[in-house]
Amino acid sequence: MQDLISDRLSLSMESDEEEKRVPLSRRPEWCDVTPVRQDDGPNTVVPIAYREEFAETMDYFRAIFLADERSPRALQLTSEAILINPGNYTVWQFRRLILEALNADLHEELDFVEHVATDNSKNYQIWHHRRWVAEKLGTDASSKELEFTKKIFFMDAKNYHAWSHRQWVLQALGGWEDELAYCQQLLEDDIFNNSAWNQRYFVMTRSPLLGGLEAMRDSEVRYTVEAIIAKPENESPWRYLRGLYKDDSQSWINDPQVSSVCLMVLNLKGNVLFALSTLLDLLCHGFQPSQELKDAVDALTSDSDSPASDLATTVCSLLERADPMRANYWKWRKGMLRQTV
Amino acid sequence: MDSILNPPSPDSNPSTQFERDRHVRFLEMMYQLLPSEYQGQEINRLTLAYFVVSGLHILGASDRVDKGGVINWVLSLQAHPKNEAELNDGQFYGFHGSRSSQFHSDDNAVWIPNGSHLASTYCALAILKTLGYDLSLLDSESILKSMKNLQQSDGSFMPIHTGAERDLRFVFCAAAICSMLENWSGMDKENVKKYILNCQSYDGGFGLMPGSESHGGATYCAVASLRLMGFIGDELSKSATSCIINVPLLLDWCLQRQAIDGGFQGRLNKDTDTCYAFWIGGVLRILGAHKFIDEKALRQFLLTCQSQYGGFSKFPRQLPDIYHSYYGFSAFSLLEEPGVNPIRVELGITDVDAIGL
Repeated sequence: MQDLISDRLSLSMESDEEEKRVPLSRRPEWCDVTPVRQDDGPNTVVPIAYREEFAETMDYFRAIFLADERSPRALQLTSEAILINPGNYTVWQFRRLILEALNADLHEELDFVEHVATDNSKNYQIWHHRRWVAEKLGTDASSKELEFTKKIFFMDAKNYHAWSHRQWVLQALGGWEDELAYCQQLLEDDIFNNSAWNQRYFVMTRSPLLGGLEAMRDSEVRYTVEAIIAKPENESPWRYLRGLYKDDSQSWINDPQVSSVCLMVLNLKGNVLFALSTLLDLLCHGFQPSQELKDAVDALTSDSDSPASDLATTVCSLLERADPMRANYWKWRKGMLRQTV
Repeated sequence: MDSILNPPSPDSNPSTQFERDRHVRFLEMMYQLLPSEYQGQEINRLTLAYFVVSGLHILGASDRVDKGGVINWVLSLQAHPKNEAELNDGQFYGFHGSRSSQFHSDDNAVWIPNGSHLASTYCALAILKTLGYDLSLLDSESILKSMKNLQQSDGSFMPIHTGAERDLRFVFCAAAICSMLENWSGMDKENVKKYILNCQSYDGGFGLMPGSESHGGATYCAVASLRLMGFIGDELSKSATSCIINVPLLLDWCLQRQAIDGGFQGRLNKDTDTCYAFWIGGVLRILGAHKFIDEKALRQFLLTCQSQYGGFSKFPRQLPDIYHSYYGFSAFSLLEEPGVNPIRVELGITDVDAIGL
């Protein structure tokens, strides 16, 4: 939602291109067109201080738009309008009508989108347009689209629009073969990249090549446990681990790999927040802890702590201390234990 | 203008209090004239106006705008079908985002384009409601009837009939429009519900689309829509199993978004940002769980994003913009800052019914 407004404020800053720009009014090929000024009418609210180039380009755009002129020069004008005003969905929509009317080369169009996206990768309209073009090109476009999103991830590995586009490409046009390897590579680059974890989950649950979550669970759990042990403070693999048992709490509390990763992290005595929180959820779902696990929790308590009657209560007390920002939440969770256990 | 473009030096101490008067002056300035940096948003002029007008109302300073003038301007952006036949032509008859996409029949044009947009329509109604305009005076029939054309078979909404991306943002806009017009004939609620439930991720948060990564803004759109549609209430007082969404996971996900610097992040392992104090703080308020956050730490974080010229920035010690300012004010409203009006979280505007007009 924020990107809707905030991320496009930086464009239209002065550049060399702007200095060289010849005003439309002085270009011979536009001499037959009368620009249509923006008519704000009375009671103008939040007027904008348009730059001259911006106002002129939009004035000419309005003229060809109203005349429904679907010509090569109109296509060129929408390019200019989009570069200074990529949020204007009317311009994009009209451009699509022109592309269809001219039967334009859509591969060239992909190059244009890439050019615009380099500076405006967080603009919704660009991505919608890209999808429109790719949809028309069909399955042949799949590999090019996957490569394109890779380029975007090279600049920003968490670009939300690019991830949406990539998921759409996979589902609509295919290209699943290397997706798990790509997630793997991104996670090797940055194990904290939650977008890559999410994509991994997307592949597990939706790839037609892998057999689904349950078939992949064992190997995925092993991979995730390794990631947790390497960085116990990383929330992403903890949530991923839980996700691997979505809608199957019974397997989750009964899988020894889950309780043992909690045990290992508790014994490390480093960042124990997510280990404790996972253990608490397990206990709330009926998990029966081993003596080893109880001892590991006890080892974290200090002598001044009053001995608690049950493990879950002790875990809540430890969480209050390990995670003071959410102390009220853990206190509340402690109070809820009486209702759930 | 030069002084505005020079950011304050990073070592200057941030104010220790909410500078209401400076914020009012900042919005008054924006009301008079938005700097050219906003020109790329001209198509969303109603949204920009919503941030300014509704923002002034949250600050208790709506007397700074010409109410009648604003109301007339907003009303003038509504698209009206010429007749009953046109109403059924598959187009959406809501509000145009700005004058630049609105044309009149006397324009001597080959055709009269209709650029009505769901987000603009939401913002139009929000401004009108904030300013006390009686929404029953509107031709709501054409808005609602034509809005159905925008709903997709999977339950989602696209924002404009000529085609655009479909996600939870426009589900929220549609739900808020129905709620403000007190008429739900504009959508298939059960289908919307199904779509929203499909967007809840494995970690408890919501993504903008099924399969997408959990995101603070998307989570707000999901939870606020469910509240507006009456599918969820104060969930913490109920038993966990009775709710249509996984509340314990959602609650835990939201609360863990408050980071060590006190601010909220929109996604796991991302930087904190002013606006999520509202998006995620708002979800927690709807769930009845706002009491679990560290309010003092959040307040301190927000103050580092408060500009000395008024307004809020995305990240600490940057230049303010009206988007982050609006959600900064909303966040302070959730923190019950004295002198700031209470908001109706799920609508994203001042709680006009509670404070009276």
